[in-house]
Amino acid sequence: MFTLLSGLWQRWQQRYEYYALIIGLDAAGKTTLLEKIKEIYIAKYPQGGKKVIPTVGLNVAKILLHSIRLVFWDLGGQLDLHELWHNYYREAHGIIYVIDSTDRERLQESKDVFDHVLMTRELEGVPILILCNKQEHPNAMTVQDIKQTLNQSAHKLGLRDCKVQGVSAVSGENVRESVEWLASRMQRNPARPPKLA
Amino acid sequence: MGGFFSSVFSRLFGEKERRILILGLDGAGKTTILYRLQVGEVVSTIPTIGFNVETVTFKNLKFQVWDLGGQTSIRPYWRCYYSNTDAIIYVVDSSDKERMGISKSELLSMLEEEELKDAVLLVMANKQDLPGALSPAKVSEALGLQALRNRTWSIFKTSATKGEGLNEAMEWLVEAVTSK
Repeated sequence: MFTLLSGLWQRWQQRYEYYALIIGLDAAGKTTLLEKIKEIYIAKYPQGGKKVIPTVGLNVAKILLHSIRLVFWDLGGQLDLHELWHNYYREAHGIIYVIDSTDRERLQESKDVFDHVLMTRELEGVPILILCNKQEHPNAMTVQDIKQTLNQSAHKLGLRDCKVQGVSAVSGENVRESVEWLASRMQRNPARPPKLA
Repeated sequence: MGGFFSSVFSRLFGEKERRILILGLDGAGKTTILYRLQVGEVVSTIPTIGFNVETVTFKNLKFQVWDLGGQTSIRPYWRCYYSNTDAIIYVVDSSDKERMGISKSELLSMLEEEELKDAVLLVMANKQDLPGALSPAKVSEALGLQALRNRTWSIFKTSATKGEGLNEAMEWLVEAVTSK
């Protein structure tokens, strides 16, 4: 009886699972974004005031959105950690590329890394969401400014969904919309079917 | 049932203690780390047969820390302590290149346990003061950490005898455990 019930329970808990990889330069706000996503989507999750320290390793978040389960992998952005990213490319259904909109000096560096991601064969056709983070900052570059730099890479996008969006991981502005966009695009991509788990 | 009562109990009587296991091969420095965390000093240790358990307070969070002996013959008993664990501190002797493979397989078989599926993983690349110690990046590669998919993890370089890196590592652990 117990086995039957627990079997039913497990079946009932089963969802299509999509993996989204959060990458970008160090201090772009990837972990802060992940924390905000958890605050928005996980009931009773403690709100705000968390101290974020540079990630060396992996932060994981799982959320339920409509009828699917989204798993976010937040990887460290420091230069010597970039080589870890490729371990996750093959399984990722979507990429969230985070840019620090206040860091004018490193925008070119961020674009170079972004180019590298675009040219990665394992990620062909995988939808990419580019988040211009820290928009709450008065000195932040606008999305238009950043787009001008990124547009030079437009020809490398290939046949994939792509969107540039301004967000604030601190205040949560546009975070929900961004997650919903990526979820819909991942579900629409026949090249990478989800896992049932 | 026990879990239910303990959660009701903690609601009634304030913050519950988080349960942490310190694991790793023999001679990795687990006991030294435990007492570094508790009393802030290096105590002279002998190989642990069985376990040491202490309460450690860090950033207003109470941890019940279990340090289990790491010798081959007693590793099979680690699993007796797995239930209700919030976090695992896995200690590696970064200078012991020969046994990295064993350390990896012990770690992987431990992480497959159902009872530990929600525990966060903190790896301490210990003994950084020794010549020839591998960097955290090399240690994480040797342990195959990048193959992990469903677990929050982090690696820190530490020297338990010099007390370096432990605070940063514990700070991460506090955040990771509270934001689980």
